Amino acid sequence: MRAQVGEEQKHARFQALCQSLRPDLLRFAVWLSRDRALAEDVVQETLLRAWKARDSLQDEKAAKPWFLTIVRREYARTFERKRLPTVDLDDLVASEEPSLGTADEQNLEELRLAIFKLPDEYREPLVLQVLMGCTTAEIGAQLNLSTPAVLTRLFRARRRLRGLCGEDTTLDPEE
Amino acid sequence: MIDCSHYRRASLAEPQSADPELLAHRDQCAPCAEFTERLVRFEARLASAMRLELGAPAGGAGKVVPLRAAAARVAGRRDRLRPRWVALAASMLVAVGVAGLLWLAVPRSSLADAVVAHMAGEPQAWLSNEAVPASRLSEAIRDAHLTLRTDAGVVSYAASCEFRGFHVPHLVVQDASGPVTVMVLVHESARATVNFDEQGYRGVIRAVPGHGAIAVLTRNRALSGSDVERIAARVQDAIEWTS
Repeated sequence: MRAQVGEEQKHARFQALCQSLRPDLLRFAVWLSRDRALAEDVVQETLLRAWKARDSLQDEKAAKPWFLTIVRREYARTFERKRLPTVDLDDLVASEEPSLGTADEQNLEELRLAIFKLPDEYREPLVLQVLMGCTTAEIGAQLNLSTPAVLTRLFRARRRLRGLCGEDTTLDPEE
Repeated sequence: MIDCSHYRRASLAEPQSADPELLAHRDQCAPCAEFTERLVRFEARLASAMRLELGAPAGGAGKVVPLRAAAARVAGRRDRLRPRWVALAASMLVAVGVAGLLWLAVPRSSLADAVVAHMAGEPQAWLSNEAVPASRLSEAIRDAHLTLRTDAGVVSYAASCEFRGFHVPHLVVQDASGPVTVMVLVHESARATVNFDEQGYRGVIRAVPGHGAIAVLTRNRALSGSDVERIAARVQDAIEWTS
């Protein structure tokens, strides 16, 4: 009986964990895939796989990288299963428009379009850092890159992004 | 000794870096200080841009169907020897459980989102660990009708910030685990405690009966959700309401 109660508490704790992480996992998947519907499928599959493998998560503090790894793996699986259609970035941002709010959003939309235009190798570490709050070491572990390689990608990502969205880059260093 | 090019390259890679060498260079180099100011503004916009407001699932309730089917498959695989009705009931339970989990997740408190977005817009709040003057703290908390006992910890940042149409106290308190942000949201209502983990911030929103809610956030990745809840409870205990 006591074991059953403990198990239920563990499940409830895991559900709460999923609940707290899901919004950012979905955002991460959208930035990764550039496709809202695909991102939702990826996150649903991620939560399902996580639920099945919940006993392998020993430490709640390690939850975020654990979930991120599953999201990235699930996203990669979509390429194994089917060839994804090419996404037109202007159409993508236009289709997301209703969900992006109304007031003072023009600049943010331009910035979002610029982020989507970044090559995957720059966009992903940037999203991991800014949205997911990952450290350089955590990004390196996710992407299987050395720390200097991560820092170079982050530097190039911001430099390109600032150029793409018309920021004053006169003080930016050369690559 | 680092030069401007090194500083700017490092800053573009890690704008939140607290490397003492970088900070020392910034403090003595006016062009790099200007560069940093622009970068901080850009980072706040970047953080806002990345926080897509993804409310309802695309495609509506229909998106639950593949999940339900998948959940049913999982349940089915677990025990093929059980009678068919038991498998069906089990699969339905799993489906309802997982769908319920997602249902709970979708309408998640936008209050937490707003708190995190506010934090991203004020990165300077984390820069100091020195106590603010008592007068500044008093001014920041005046409209919220509260005082903060000293056992809350050293308050290193205090401002009265506009938040969802009201001015609310935005404090940074130095906890043993590092700085934690406290926002006293007397105009908000929270029915239950909400934990969140977004954009590098781990936090909790606690209902304060009769006084709205309190949000406590940390950037310390070593802390778990329950650690943050304990800190929030301690800070909340140190608040004395004056009305």
